[in-house]
Amino acid sequence: MEPLIEFKNINKTFGREPNLVHALKDVSFKIYPGEFVAILGPSGSGKTTLMNIVGLIDKPDDGGLYIDGLNMGDKPDKVYSKLRNQKIGFVFQKFNLISKYDALYNVALPLLHRGKSYKEAKEAAAITLDRVGLENRHHHKPNELSGGQQQRVAIARALVGESPLILADEPTGALDKKTGGEILDLFEDLNGQGKTIVMITHDLDIASKAKRIIRVDDGRIFED
Amino acid sequence: MVIISILSNKFRVFLTSLGIIIGSLTIILVVGIGKAGETAVSEQYSRLSVESITIAKTKGMGQSSTSTEILLKDDAMNMAEVLTYVKSVGVSTRVVADIGTNGVSSAITIQGINEEYADITRLEVVHGDMFTNEDSLMRNKYVVLGSNVADSLFDGDPAGAVGEKVMIKGSTFEVVGVLDSVGGSGGISTSQADSGSVDDMAFIPYDVAVKYTSGTVSRSSSSGNQLTYVALADDIGNVEMAVAEIKDYIQETIGTDAAYTVTDAGNVLESAQATAKTLSSLLLAVAVIVLAVSGIGIMNVLMVAVQERTREIGILKSIGASRKTIMTEFLLEAAMISVFGGILGALLSLGAPWIFSMSTIAYEPSLGGIALGMGFSVATGIFFGFYPAAKASGLEPITALNYE
Repeated sequence: MEPLIEFKNINKTFGREPNLVHALKDVSFKIYPGEFVAILGPSGSGKTTLMNIVGLIDKPDDGGLYIDGLNMGDKPDKVYSKLRNQKIGFVFQKFNLISKYDALYNVALPLLHRGKSYKEAKEAAAITLDRVGLENRHHHKPNELSGGQQQRVAIARALVGESPLILADEPTGALDKKTGGEILDLFEDLNGQGKTIVMITHDLDIASKAKRIIRVDDGRIFED
Repeated sequence: MVIISILSNKFRVFLTSLGIIIGSLTIILVVGIGKAGETAVSEQYSRLSVESITIAKTKGMGQSSTSTEILLKDDAMNMAEVLTYVKSVGVSTRVVADIGTNGVSSAITIQGINEEYADITRLEVVHGDMFTNEDSLMRNKYVVLGSNVADSLFDGDPAGAVGEKVMIKGSTFEVVGVLDSVGGSGGISTSQADSGSVDDMAFIPYDVAVKYTSGTVSRSSSSGNQLTYVALADDIGNVEMAVAEIKDYIQETIGTDAAYTVTDAGNVLESAQATAKTLSSLLLAVAVIVLAVSGIGIMNVLMVAVQERTREIGILKSIGASRKTIMTEFLLEAAMISVFGGILGALLSLGAPWIFSMSTIAYEPSLGGIALGMGFSVATGIFFGFYPAAKASGLEPITALNYE
């Protein structure tokens, strides 16, 4: 089976000497379709950088990045946006919903950017919101929703495009324990339905929900 | 997406549009005024034969020139005989005098002219007839009224004026004709010292004018009154030669050719048109500057919008919005602000004819002006929207997402 994500000796630095930070040092790993992987590490370990590179919102300095077998090294910006739209669903710690739009429109956005009609996108968004348990919150704006509900909207947005890969950056970080637990259950369900899930966390309890844990420390990775 | 983000700050959009509204309105008005000016010029001269040549006392020399530097009527009339290319010569003497009927009286310009003058300057009589040179010799006290004069003296019934009596300088004159309305303000020739529309004048036979109104003009006793002549070249191709001949003739007769300005109709028309054009290009330049300033306003607002929406742009990019989409959105937003401003400017310009009708400025609404005004507005919006749009679309997703 071909890996969905493959890192080959990836390096990433920030800043310049003498303040150079080596965020990722020669990182290599593979993630296969259907996996539920937790990337575990303390803050400053480089795990968010790793996640941003997987999510194609940041680029490595060198090394090989393959998404679904495709070498991303020499691809133009257009390919990056297309893959972000079709292969990846992002769930952020701070939800990153657009505050002036209601839940339904936020969820419909990825489809609108794919070129779907307004009507089609809204129908799909409504179904997806129902799927994450927000049947009665379609027309609420983010500030009218609780943290847990906002994160569900964000998850619906990641799901609506049928992307095979869900990336979650500390998805429970801004939520209380109970609500966080519910979100994790949702991820487990989604994994059960065949989604590949990569989740960043600094909490071993949360990481243990995943089937596989990749530890990151000081820019290097250690497989369990 | 575009529509929602625009509507989210209506007041700001309106303020931004204001510059564009004023800019497009200015362009439309400028084009309208320029067009009206050009129309007036061509209407004014449409009656002037291209073969005609105006011979008028040089401006500014009227008072200072000695009385011997006057081209007398007989000398001028003689040109038609002795000069090769001059076919006929018309003469005009003018005074401002009261003209009245029983009820009304007003001071207007009264011109004493011969038949040739009426022909060359194409005075068109719509009611009655023009007097003849016979009438002049016989000192018949006939008068032909300009259309406005006939209107005011005869209560809006110019046709009824023919055959009626009017008083000029205490003498009774019979109205034999009424001129067609020409509009405009220039009258027959702008090089005449005190031009005005022939609509506001009255014309009487030359010799009658000498006897009753203006008095005799001679070298020994200058009355301050001046004679203006128009000559007709025998062919359109000979106008230049006729002008040269006339200048030579004046030089020989009175010792200087500087006392009179000899201008052919083509020249007069060209310079009048050039003046009208210069004026409209000047106004147009002002309008373009207004638009450029409002364009900078649009750029400023969009730059603020890029900053405010940096995180939003980051989110959109993370869910797969392409560079092109974001670019298009910002450009569309700029275009919408400017189209909105352009349309509002065009709508406001519809009230212009009404406003200008209360002033002395001539205005002629034109579709071309509206198209130009709106075209310029949209171009301004897109031109000045381009930089912010490029800046927004070029943001790295991770930088945009982390922006606080």
